[in-house]
Amino acid sequence: MAGSFLRLAVGIFAAAGIWLLSAPAAAPAQPQDCDVAESFYSFEPTLPNTIRALASGREVIIAAIGGASTRGGTWGSPELAWPARLAAALVERVPAARVKVVNLGVARQTSGEMAARFVREVPALKPALVIWETGTMEAVRNTDLGEFRETVQAGLGRLRAAGPEVVLMDMQFSRVTHAVINIDRYVNILREVADANDVPLFPRHDIMRYWAENGILDLRTPDREKRRQLAVRLHECIGREMADFIVRGAHPSRPAPGRRR
Amino acid sequence: MERDLRLDFFRGLALFFIFIDHIPNNPLAQFTLQSVAFSDAAEVFILISGYTAGMVYGRAMERQGPLVAGVRVYHRVWQLYVAHVFLFTLFMAMMAYTVGALNSSLYAEEFRAADFLKEPGVAVVKALTLQFQPAFMDILPLYIALLMGLPFALVGFRRWPGAVGLASSALWLVVQLDKMIELPAYPGPNQVWFFNPFAWQALFFLGAWLGWRGTKDGVAWVANRWLFRFAAALALAGFLIRFSWTLHGLYDPIPALFPKALWPLLSKKNLGPLRFANALALALLVAHLIPPQGRSMTAAAARPFVLCGRHSLHIFCLGILLSVVGHLVINEFFGRAPMQLAVSAAGGAIMTSVAALMDWFAAAQAPPGLRAQRAAATGGGA
Repeated sequence: MAGSFLRLAVGIFAAAGIWLLSAPAAAPAQPQDCDVAESFYSFEPTLPNTIRALASGREVIIAAIGGASTRGGTWGSPELAWPARLAAALVERVPAARVKVVNLGVARQTSGEMAARFVREVPALKPALVIWETGTMEAVRNTDLGEFRETVQAGLGRLRAAGPEVVLMDMQFSRVTHAVINIDRYVNILREVADANDVPLFPRHDIMRYWAENGILDLRTPDREKRRQLAVRLHECIGREMADFIVRGAHPSRPAPGRRR
Repeated sequence: MERDLRLDFFRGLALFFIFIDHIPNNPLAQFTLQSVAFSDAAEVFILISGYTAGMVYGRAMERQGPLVAGVRVYHRVWQLYVAHVFLFTLFMAMMAYTVGALNSSLYAEEFRAADFLKEPGVAVVKALTLQFQPAFMDILPLYIALLMGLPFALVGFRRWPGAVGLASSALWLVVQLDKMIELPAYPGPNQVWFFNPFAWQALFFLGAWLGWRGTKDGVAWVANRWLFRFAAALALAGFLIRFSWTLHGLYDPIPALFPKALWPLLSKKNLGPLRFANALALALLVAHLIPPQGRSMTAAAARPFVLCGRHSLHIFCLGILLSVVGHLVINEFFGRAPMQLAVSAAGGAIMTSVAALMDWFAAAQAPPGLRAQRAAATGGGA
């Protein structure tokens, strides 16, 4: 019994191996644009107050809180980080808008540390919208999932009590770090908390994965200069995508606002 | 005594689930236990491990006395510890690869959150003291800690079973009420053990007690019809609610049934009441519905799981190793869903083949008369 089973198992494995090796290496087409389909977030709640404020021509403050991937600056000036790119992209989409995106990103902070900063830093800014990017520290440290959920839940409550609309943003996608960091379960928790609170989640992880898998952005480039260009382009793309995400629902009669270059 | 194939089968199934869940973005992960029940493979693994340990070492205690049984348990603890150190070595090798790939990459800044990169020497020491528990290295420390308490529990089962049961459930309850009862871990000031042993001991020792009693006269109330109906209702409710969350995640307009209200009862670290109850309900259903040597357990389709469950410690480590290799394959070839399915299938096939090989080898080594005995004795595998 064991012998025949062993043969069967070996056979299956060999077949799987052959199939694995014969599968063509990914050679996707190379679209120029980093647009993603709106189906990535078609069920996320919209941001009516922010859209209204943008269209009104008043100055709109958007606060971006997050870690190193929000602060940017590693590969150039903060002007190249996605919050700054978001400001530019929003004006492109809503010409009447006067937008100021305040970058409150600080590298290597836990969700709890960020939440503690809300009280001090956010109310004074009187933002219409707060974008909270978090979860990386917890995933890297393999922190307790329940505590992470509670911290994000409490932080959201505190943010919304102060008045602004809120967008949650999840972690960056990276195939390499997946082997030592179990990022999926922390992404799932962010998704659950956002969903239960009717707060829109900007699915950066899925979007970046889509870009990587479709060859739109080569996240693995070994060349240093190319990597700098990649970082710039990635932040530009995230900023543009976030702008689309924010203004979505503004013109229900028209398709997505002009975004082709 | 005939071997209870259900133990092997479900432990093997849990090992498959653990392997599948460890491959990132794996579409198959939608079909593991965690999508249809509040509990997941961790509960299955700990409960069955408790049961088999109670059975095997309980029998050893009856025959050879508590001292010999205790030494046998600690010999097993040592094997688990060595396996843990092996996995840590694997983790460090993977880290070396990752850091090389990440060096001054896009993620370098974020990745510096990994404090242990700054002080790898400290990380090694903390891993040896079981305090460093990166992803995929969190369940063996729990198992080691629990098994270390087993000899005392076994002695307690014989003398004061009621008191042990009461103490164990009381400790679990206290942990639910006071969230500060936990073990410190590394790195960071607020880091704690991913699985809190003070909570999880309740599941493990309950399993051990059932296993120990199973070698004697069994436990009468397990067969109670009302208890069975209650467990069935609980498992069904758990399925309906948890599956609604899964469906909601796949397609938003399907409503998730009261998630927010149930979150506080679902702590993985502290084995929240719903996880605990759901795991016990499922175990009771299996005990009632599936006979130990039934056709479903001896079928060819069940064979891979039975084999893997029988050599669970080795297959667990192999599963971790394979998920790491799977990462590399997916990373290098930039695989999408089909590749992930292929990696999952290949990994499952390798796990099964190795388990079959170990089975064959063990049988070939044992003298004919000893085979039946050996088959019963190795029931205590991880």
